[in-house]
Amino acid sequence: MRWSALCLPVTDDASSPTEPARQALAIWALQFTPRVSVLDEAVLMEVEASLRLFGGWPALRARVAAEAPALGVVQLAWAPNGLAALALARAGIEDGLSGLLPARLDPLPLEVLGALRPHRLTLAHIGCRCLGDVRALPRGGLVRRFDRALLHALDQLYGQAPEVHTWVGLPERFEQRLELMARVEQAPALMVGAQRLLLALGGWLAARQAGVTAFALRWVHDALRARAAGEGGELVVRTATPTRDTTHLARLLAEHLARVSLQAPVGELCLHALDVQPLVTASASLLPPDRAQGNVGEEGLTQVLERLSVRLGAVRVLRPVLLDDHRPEAQCRWQPATEALPRQVLPVASGPQPGFLLPQPLRLAMRGDRPLFQGELQLLLGPQRIEGGWWDRDEDAGVHRNVVRDYWVAQSAQAGVLWVFQTRLEQAPAWFLHGYFA
Amino acid sequence: MSAPVLAAAAAPLLSPCQNARPLLPPSPLPSGPAGGESLVLPAQVAAAVWRGDQLGQPVASVWPSGFAELDAVLPGGGWPGQAVTELLSPQAGTHEWRLLGPLLRQVTAAGRPVLMVGPPRPPHPAGLRHEGLDERRLVWVQAETPAERLWATEQLLRARTGGVLLAWLPQVRAEQVRRLQVQAGGHETPVFLCRPEAALHEASAAPLRLRVGPGPDWTLQVELPKRKGPPLTQPLSLVSVPGGLRNLLTPRLQQPSRLVPSENTDAVVRPVPAGHRRRVLSH
Repeated sequence: MRWSALCLPVTDDASSPTEPARQALAIWALQFTPRVSVLDEAVLMEVEASLRLFGGWPALRARVAAEAPALGVVQLAWAPNGLAALALARAGIEDGLSGLLPARLDPLPLEVLGALRPHRLTLAHIGCRCLGDVRALPRGGLVRRFDRALLHALDQLYGQAPEVHTWVGLPERFEQRLELMARVEQAPALMVGAQRLLLALGGWLAARQAGVTAFALRWVHDALRARAAGEGGELVVRTATPTRDTTHLARLLAEHLARVSLQAPVGELCLHALDVQPLVTASASLLPPDRAQGNVGEEGLTQVLERLSVRLGAVRVLRPVLLDDHRPEAQCRWQPATEALPRQVLPVASGPQPGFLLPQPLRLAMRGDRPLFQGELQLLLGPQRIEGGWWDRDEDAGVHRNVVRDYWVAQSAQAGVLWVFQTRLEQAPAWFLHGYFA
Repeated sequence: MSAPVLAAAAAPLLSPCQNARPLLPPSPLPSGPAGGESLVLPAQVAAAVWRGDQLGQPVASVWPSGFAELDAVLPGGGWPGQAVTELLSPQAGTHEWRLLGPLLRQVTAAGRPVLMVGPPRPPHPAGLRHEGLDERRLVWVQAETPAERLWATEQLLRARTGGVLLAWLPQVRAEQVRRLQVQAGGHETPVFLCRPEAALHEASAAPLRLRVGPGPDWTLQVELPKRKGPPLTQPLSLVSVPGGLRNLLTPRLQQPSRLVPSENTDAVVRPVPAGHRRRVLSH
């Protein structure tokens, strides 16, 4: 049995840490093991059965030690049972697994065990300074003089009596609040608090075997605010595929926050999972990862395109969808890369098609009846007559996208192979450059 | 150069001192260019030494370019992965698909994406399909300002996309290219930076630089001002017909420069001026 006690800060003896912070910590701990319980100011978890899943004892221990401080944990301890872990954590000792447990517990002061606290003055008067002194007292006398609960707690602490825990259950919906340490005036600075909530979200998702596709970060403005500022604001972040990778979610959120300007200082944050879908992650492999799979922490194509879309705007990171049309400018529609592509694949259009197409055809100057573009063009192949679009009419703008054109493949000494066309059926027929074969 | 070493290895019955003689020349310095004999190194050392007049072997994977003449002069015999390659041309967007078409075809056939950052004009997927590209693998990042282009290129380089990256960087400084080259070390597929020809006069951290320009008769003129080896000053003529035209060219059109450009420019069919045609039709 490997128990961990994760202690949150205590301001004074009487008050316990805030309930949301303890709850966030418990949710985060639930990703490692279902055996999580809350005791006084600490969260206890037992991870023996999960060691292999998280890459072995050293890896799991390092991960817990790395992530816990972000959730406000001030002291962490490992021990063979929960009460001992809590006692060691209160005494500031991290490792309780090596060596004999009684030898480690005996020198600790009386305050580390909650059941001893009411009696610690009496115990001090009879000369008990540490746990070892109390344990050395006769058991019968201890029960008569104090109460049975004290002796039972002492037995549980030393592993001589079984512990009973109430396991923490997982909430059905994820909604966590966080009161910020200080008022925040710049939106990117909200990331510090949001990071803590995202870690809890990652733990909740891992425990539910799910991934998030949309989540909302809400912020509440401070009470001292301008009247026009309103109650607060909200930012909804969506991902293309379900994920519970907190580093990716944090990157996305940071990109979004960089574009937000706060109306008033913010005192409180709230993270809300809007859309959660089941997510099956790949099993860990016995073999070391190869280059194609990449290292841990590297982004895949979907993630990096999502991030580019946030910074540049979704309409500037694009994938093509081919359409069935004769007119070259209507043969393709560019859609945001984060949207799914249609499954249908169109056949290849016949006839020459350039690799680059100008958005607007460029009218060419003429010398006699020959078009000029960086020198005289040599017309090679043609004409390819493209006629159509009488159905494509925009009444509001008064545009009629009907084209009647003769396309030619032309060669220029400087610009390479070009695609030009000559308009027909017009008063002044003209030549236009429409594409580069590149 | 290594002939004495080979002879010694092939004749193991010589006495040890004879065996050792070719390996240990009396003077460690080469006898000079006039002598014609250079320093003879042990075989394993000689194999590890890359001489400046030879073509080097890139440490990373190599992707065939699809042109036998070009493969012969590229170090390792193809486009290098894990490194940036500069394509310098007088005009951006005039030759890219013709030069990289065979590579992009094999890349998209393997299901890898082709990422384009800031192309000078919109790509036309219907035309790229004629080159054999799968248009579903194309991604177009419309980055406009130099900072945006650099940022997007760097993000795509750092991510595990597995695709070929084509970035048009008209304004980029040498230290920024160096930064991209360092980032490209983790990117297994080739990375191409399309830059103006004027950048040829600046130093660059890219291990391979190509100057590409249009040539007569469906050819591309390619020079290699920088490669791992001696620079190739003799321009290389690569015959590359754009994808959709390959089946349409008549034997006469294979060499349009012979079609007497001075007298009859529109060599095949002289297009009838539309005004004239209308007159004919109205009769």
